[in-house]
Amino acid sequence: MKNKVLGALKYAFLFFLLLFEAVPILQVFINAFRTDGDVKTMPFGLPKQWVFNNWAETWQIGGYGTAFLNSLIIAAVVIVIVLTIVGLGAYALSKLEFRGREFFIGYFFVAISLPSFLYIVPDYFVFNSIGLIDTRLSLVLVYTATQIPFNMLLLRTFLAGIPREVEEAAKIDGCSEIQAFTLITLPIAKSIFMTVAILVFVNVWNEFLFANTFIMADALKPVSTRFVKFVGEFSSNMARIYTASAITILPIIALYLIFSRRFIEGMTSGSVKG
Amino acid sequence: MSTPSGAAAGQRKKRNIVPYLFVLPAFLIHVCIVTGPSLSTLVMSFFEWNGLGDAKFIGLRNFAEIFTTDKVVRIALINNLKWLAIFITVPIILGFIVAILVSRTKRFQMLFRTVYFVPYVLSAAVVGKIWTAYFNPYYGINNLFAAMGLTGLAETLWIGDPAIALYSVAFVDNWHWWGFVMVMFMSALQQVDPSLYESARVDGVNRFQEIFYISIPAIKQTIAFMLIMTVMWSFLTFDYVYVMTYGGPANSTEILATWIYKNAFVKYNAGYANALCVVQSVICIGFYYLQRFISKKGGLEEE
Repeated sequence: MKNKVLGALKYAFLFFLLLFEAVPILQVFINAFRTDGDVKTMPFGLPKQWVFNNWAETWQIGGYGTAFLNSLIIAAVVIVIVLTIVGLGAYALSKLEFRGREFFIGYFFVAISLPSFLYIVPDYFVFNSIGLIDTRLSLVLVYTATQIPFNMLLLRTFLAGIPREVEEAAKIDGCSEIQAFTLITLPIAKSIFMTVAILVFVNVWNEFLFANTFIMADALKPVSTRFVKFVGEFSSNMARIYTASAITILPIIALYLIFSRRFIEGMTSGSVKG
Repeated sequence: MSTPSGAAAGQRKKRNIVPYLFVLPAFLIHVCIVTGPSLSTLVMSFFEWNGLGDAKFIGLRNFAEIFTTDKVVRIALINNLKWLAIFITVPIILGFIVAILVSRTKRFQMLFRTVYFVPYVLSAAVVGKIWTAYFNPYYGINNLFAAMGLTGLAETLWIGDPAIALYSVAFVDNWHWWGFVMVMFMSALQQVDPSLYESARVDGVNRFQEIFYISIPAIKQTIAFMLIMTVMWSFLTFDYVYVMTYGGPANSTEILATWIYKNAFVKYNAGYANALCVVQSVICIGFYYLQRFISKKGGLEEE
């Protein structure tokens, strides 16, 4: 009897926390289908009447078509570069013997701990003096660099688990090191590369500080900074603020629901090893 | 005879370059964008500089200003410490309790884990703005409190009142953060050898005592990691405060990071901002190495 009560209390507590986490997010999507007046009277609740114009209006005013394109271009380029250079680097650090290997591993461990404020100021002023401010390239460079250390160590740990013999066998058959990597290691490690790609995508999509500091031109702004427009110029329209938020987080929520195991494992594994 | 040995030597030589070719692109990009500029921050902290014109060497005067005349730094440091006090208790305790509960739950385990983790994957800037909308004194959650007849709560300026603004922001950051802590603890708990629990049960240990005799000692590495990382992150935190209150009202929620941001990009005191960055980094990197030192000492790490 006592156990049953405790069990019920446990589920009540866990479901309360479930609502506590989920409702503020669900309500954002509900509010995107309500009129501004309706939202302002009561932020929580279902629509008095469902309206659908918020999405099209917010999409247009916020320039989300361009913003999505910017974010997707930046993310795609960063993912390709990071997977290539981190893949090669992690392969060398986990498979190849060479002088200085320990130095490089140590370097990336230290690199994880460098706070972004240590380099954002000089990066800004250097980029400014060479004309990189207000270019997508500036964000590509910064995101690539900041994604390197964590993913390097994540991939290295994983690749170290693949027996070296398979690559050695390929090399005896006449493969070069790069062929051994692309033909043998890559197919085996496909899944972890996919995880890295997803993590990089999420980090790039969500990044706000550099995006908001380095990009002033509306035409170049990525999705993460576009809601600022609604808070500034359209702060009176709450329904649009919620809709802009919904537009920004929807792709990530969708990705997360599809790949939740990869998200959770990827985002927590690195820190445990850290 | 000379041909094969020549080929072998050639191959060995080639193999010596290849690892560097593989690792250098990532290394060089990182050095150029992150480490190099970070070192320049260290150097420029000894200069007075507006970011554009000539820099003037002023020795330790930036640091002297930080620790003596700049009153905001003191407010910021105290706020970072309050932040630390909140985050080293609330999310860690909640995360731990829920991790224990969920790991003993058969049904809905994946559902709980997945939903608790959702806020962590979302953009901090947008989540901050969503909650700013909920905290809006005219159009936000206060209307809900008014409808429920809770006049006191309905009249509270959640992020407009200097006395409570910091706690409101911390509440939101906690809302997004504790799920991550919970998942970290849960994956650590799942690594614990089940036979430990079985033998304890034979010895008459009940399910509550189990937590203290087995669970906590078994995952102490993860707990230590979360504690030290919390200390570090408490001095780095930026997004939520920047988006929700921008350090206001009247510097009441100013933290080191927002003060650095304002000095660098609003007041154009690049040299002074750099000195603040150095102070912030010394605190964080210090704790980071303390954590690594403790884990190594305790033999907690394979690396």
